Amino acid sequence: MAADSNKGAEDDGGEFAAFMADISEEIALRVESLEPPPKPKPEARKPTPVARDAGLILEWENVVDRMIEDIR
Amino acid sequence: MSVVNYGTREITCKIVYYGPGRSGKTTNLQHIYSRLPEERKGKMVSLATETDRTLFFDFLPLDLGTISGFATRFQLYTVPGQVYYAATRKLVLQGVDGVVFVADSQSRQLAENIESLQDLHANLADEGLDPRTIPLVMQYNKRDLPAGEISAIEELDGTLNFRGVPYFAGSAVSGGGVFETLRSISSMVLSRLSAPATKA
Repeated sequence: MAADSNKGAEDDGGEFAAFMADISEEIALRVESLEPPPKPKPEARKPTPVARDAGLILEWENVVDRMIEDIR
Repeated sequence: MSVVNYGTREITCKIVYYGPGRSGKTTNLQHIYSRLPEERKGKMVSLATETDRTLFFDFLPLDLGTISGFATRFQLYTVPGQVYYAATRKLVLQGVDGVVFVADSQSRQLAENIESLQDLHANLADEGLDPRTIPLVMQYNKRDLPAGEISAIEELDGTLNFRGVPYFAGSAVSGGGVFETLRSISSMVLSRLSAPATKA
């Protein structure tokens, strides 16, 4: 894998331009061949478990009303 | 560290120039910096002593713009080559994606080259990186010196390049081999975009 060192005298801007061209090609090749990481699947919504005291929850508005009434 | 962030559409690579003191690491970065078009010129940070030797490290951010929809940045670092800056070298190596080993071709510097290479391997291992698989490119610098003062490329390569990685003859003061080296290490780093990081 040899190396040619002393041709370093590509013209000034040319060195960077050639580098950019190579890198762009390499990146294009890579990112196109790569699958983006899979997005996490949205979790299926679990039905809210009905708690033993669910009745209280359902009656929440009434409870609040009662509390307000008590305060008065 | 790197490399592809699909969320932010960014590619970031950290490349470290490693090697013994005065082998030409900073000169490599200076040449790259000098060839950057104005619009891409960020700040090259160089912390040097009064005698012009790197005290802490050099840092050259290379903003390559948007490539294939990805904002692409290369971060080039050098380490201080002197033996007594071991802690700094370890620090700079953190999160490295690829290494350019800049060897001094002078025959009398062979022992320093070997010592620095061993130091690199030890520090990579400390970082949890496998010195046998991390992207690595060798640059045999100072080929512009008189033939009597420098070792033959084959000799240097036979002694230092046991992994058989790509190598380049360099003359960083005139820019010879600098971009060829950078191109090679960049390509090696990018080729690992899809490969999982190898831990030691």
